Amino acid sequence: MTHEALQRVPRETRFPLNLAVSSAAIDRLYEESKLDIWAPATEVDWGSGDFSALTKEQFEAARRVWSRRTWLEYTGIAATPALLLRFCLERGREVEAKFYLTVRNTEEAELVDAFHRYSELLGGYLARPENPAWEAVINRRCEADALDPELPLDGYVAAHCAVEDGLELALFRAYLANAREPLARTLLGRAVADKTRHAAFGWNYLESRAGSLSAGARGEVVAALVDWLHKVAFAGYHLPSLATTIDSAAEQGAQQAAAAAGLGAATAPEEEQIFRDYLVTARAHLQALGIALPALSHPRLGAL
Amino acid sequence: MSAASETFSSILAQPTPLFPLELGRRNPEIGKLFAASLTSQWNPATIIDWDGLDLQAFTAEQRQALRVRWSRRAWGEYGAISESPALQIRFCHDRLDADTRLYFSIRTQEESRHAEISYRLAEKFGGYIDAPAEEYRGSVSSHGIRRLALDADVPVESTIAALVCSAEQIILENFMHVAKLTTQPDIRRVYQLILRDEARHCAFGWYLMANRLPHLSAAQKERVREAVVTMIEQVELNGYQLAWLAPDNAASRAQIEGDRILWRGGLGASTEELEKPVFIASLRRIRERMDSEWGISLPKFFHPKTGEI
Repeated sequence: MTHEALQRVPRETRFPLNLAVSSAAIDRLYEESKLDIWAPATEVDWGSGDFSALTKEQFEAARRVWSRRTWLEYTGIAATPALLLRFCLERGREVEAKFYLTVRNTEEAELVDAFHRYSELLGGYLARPENPAWEAVINRRCEADALDPELPLDGYVAAHCAVEDGLELALFRAYLANAREPLARTLLGRAVADKTRHAAFGWNYLESRAGSLSAGARGEVVAALVDWLHKVAFAGYHLPSLATTIDSAAEQGAQQAAAAAGLGAATAPEEEQIFRDYLVTARAHLQALGIALPALSHPRLGAL
Repeated sequence: MSAASETFSSILAQPTPLFPLELGRRNPEIGKLFAASLTSQWNPATIIDWDGLDLQAFTAEQRQALRVRWSRRAWGEYGAISESPALQIRFCHDRLDADTRLYFSIRTQEESRHAEISYRLAEKFGGYIDAPAEEYRGSVSSHGIRRLALDADVPVESTIAALVCSAEQIILENFMHVAKLTTQPDIRRVYQLILRDEARHCAFGWYLMANRLPHLSAAQKERVREAVVTMIEQVELNGYQLAWLAPDNAASRAQIEGDRILWRGGLGASTEELEKPVFIASLRRIRERMDSEWGISLPKFFHPKTGEI
């Protein structure tokens, strides 16, 4: 993106304002989300956690894992409203997508609140990574990308809402499967329900658009996907172990200890296998939509 | 995106550190609003028995007035989806307290359900109208919040004071007035539910300002005052919410006549004669409150229909 591009905000042409639903699948997600709103402060029994058998090291590991989870979830608090604005600024974008994004943002706020509270129970939420090198990896400023007029919206949705949210869902399913601690199970169950809809939104939207994308627009989608994989996924945003310029030993150790204690985590090798498997599925899904993701190579994992 | 654009000092072009990400610094009053919103959900798809709503109970004239009124409401509510979310980006950029950042997410969701219920009502009563008449468009198209929220040179407090503590406060009090006049049960219920949401939205604005004002300089407080004056003079007194305040033209006259038809039937509208004292009282209360709580003195306002307020 250019600095100049971000200094501009396009003027909206609001009328005619079409409010008729065009995608039944996304409208269903909106309806489901409306029925699944919950209040972390009052609807979770925060005294139900069972931490009696945890060692000091396990507490420390788990608070690291859950604090990091909170930071990642928090990035949506600014990114989703930016994406919503972008949908509204582009003429002809579907109202059900706009409505859905409003409730998706509520779900993100619920999860931030819940993850923060759980981190506090584990010994105290950490307000920043121990290694400052992680700060730039996590602070991606997606809100600026979402509103950057030089970045096509369909590419943004493909990278962030379809492929990235799909990866998050796969990871959170693994975290839930690992969680033996009752409170972690409750929170991760909620998170998986939300993230199932988030990923469905991205893929449904991409499916609805794919048929009308020109060859050039498909190329832009591919470019956005490759950019996201190299700059975000490979940088260790979701899987710290994928980072090649930052030592992730501390994060991997925390993941291993938290997973061993059943606190809703996955070890680095488990996460990497999930990542590999997910990329195979995502690539096939994209191929079916006429979007050919090129061969990729991670410096350590090799060909993906 | 549209080719036309505005260039300004955008927060998007500024570095925004994420860390330290403090989530414990709280505004407890706004935290309570967040919890209240999360537990006070209602669904436009099911709140009315849409199939059971008997249209034969309404005259053709009433149905037409209803579709126009609720189409207009949909346009207004949509503005809170297409513009106000910029405020949440700004809250994050300015690192306001966590409750403010989290609460605003559900505030936007509540605005989307207001747009949705308005659209559904317009559809039910004859079909949503997708645009205002050309001569009326200037009164209802935009209040410019997106640009203001993203503009680094505009303090966010001035935008909240103008949008929430002024514009939303006026419509809240107007809705309270209209709800009392409404006898049709489904429409009255919709007003009551929207009112409940809007009461929280307004409370949010006053809580946020109470928290922020002690940190503002005299110059920033002057920006707050200017923003409120601009919102009242150029948006509210131009008929953004109340059709009889809009410049006189065929479209605004039709809207006023439609509202009169609905008022006669207890169908969720009022008239100029009844709304005028409510509007004047709202403006006076806002002025008194800003003066007593913020130390900000608003000027007198003038509109040909109201005289000096």
